[in-house]
Amino acid sequence: MVQINLPKNSQVKKGKYYKDKTDSKNLRKVNIYRWDPSTEENPRIDTYEVDMDNCPSKVLDILNKIKNEIDPTIAYRRSCAHGVCGSCAMNMGGKNGLACTTPHAEIDGDIDIYPLPHLKVKKDLIGDLDGLYKQYQSIEPWLKSNSNSETQEILQSKEERAKLDGAYECIMCACCSTSCPSYWWNGDKYLGPAVLLQAYRWIVDSRDEERQARLKKVADELKLYRCHTILNCTSACPKGLNPAKAIAEIKKMLATANI
Amino acid sequence: MENKSPLSPHIQIYRWHISSLVSITHRITGIINIVVITLICLWASLLLLGESKYETINLLLNSSIGKFIILAITWSFSFQVLSEIRHLIMDFGYGFEIKTTKITGLIVIFGSLILTVVFYLIGKIFF
Repeated sequence: MVQINLPKNSQVKKGKYYKDKTDSKNLRKVNIYRWDPSTEENPRIDTYEVDMDNCPSKVLDILNKIKNEIDPTIAYRRSCAHGVCGSCAMNMGGKNGLACTTPHAEIDGDIDIYPLPHLKVKKDLIGDLDGLYKQYQSIEPWLKSNSNSETQEILQSKEERAKLDGAYECIMCACCSTSCPSYWWNGDKYLGPAVLLQAYRWIVDSRDEERQARLKKVADELKLYRCHTILNCTSACPKGLNPAKAIAEIKKMLATANI
Repeated sequence: MENKSPLSPHIQIYRWHISSLVSITHRITGIINIVVITLICLWASLLLLGESKYETINLLLNSSIGKFIILAITWSFSFQVLSEIRHLIMDFGYGFEIKTTKITGLIVIFGSLILTVVFYLIGKIFF
């Protein structure tokens, strides 16, 4: 259901202000969403003054700098720092992306960092993605083949393989799904762009033999057709993929009975 | 734990861009248009009650507020039509590249304003 306002326990308060101690001339203010599960308090925005002369170019570098030099209590997910693992997905400057591939120079003014939108927060910048993973599981993202394939290699032509381009690269960082207003309002039923892109990836895979069953499974008013081509997903994707187009292709297959 | 966890901010912080603006406006104009069509039907059925009732509405629509309402309705219809065409093209699977969506979105926004003026002038000159 559409609920524009945040619930009472989620309303964001003003937090602490960490003044710069390095006497740097090149400072930027970084506003970070904080919530500590061990207290009863509401989430707050802490502001940090960061010395940009000694900070590398990405938003993740700022976070590391803050954690190492200013405030070690801040919590966020990160791993590879090369845009491959998808751990550091968060909302920066009002747009979802990977902190490790988003240059802070692209953000005007103060740098606002929030967790991925409309998730239950576990701590600070860490959102709970369990629901999304369950939905991912529900589309059965593995090859289904019943024929004599167990002993034989399943061959695929170059054209058939090319259909998977733009779908297999997804790293499941959830930037797209959590940017989608439809997913905000109906996240319990609507599968969301990330999972639908993966559903598409298995539907168009020539080696998979359950194409029809897969299509039938997503052909649902809530699971699929909540996509209204708002296109927040495509503009958020840090890998440059196009979930909105994949969803449109699924709709098209269903509409033209191309099954 | 489950109930205690706050919900992270969503629409409050997410930056608007052209296609999300066009999408929400498409919804709003859609709702306005349904209401307006109902009102137009009621207005037409007022004819059955005789000339005086019809005259009242006529006077209202010729006042400056009435003219503003008519312009607003014209824009709302223009926007809906153009945006619906954009949706139709997307249903065929075209125009999903970020750059294209920006261009088609701008066409919808400015086109609806131009269409409004055109419709208004047509109404003014020919009726």
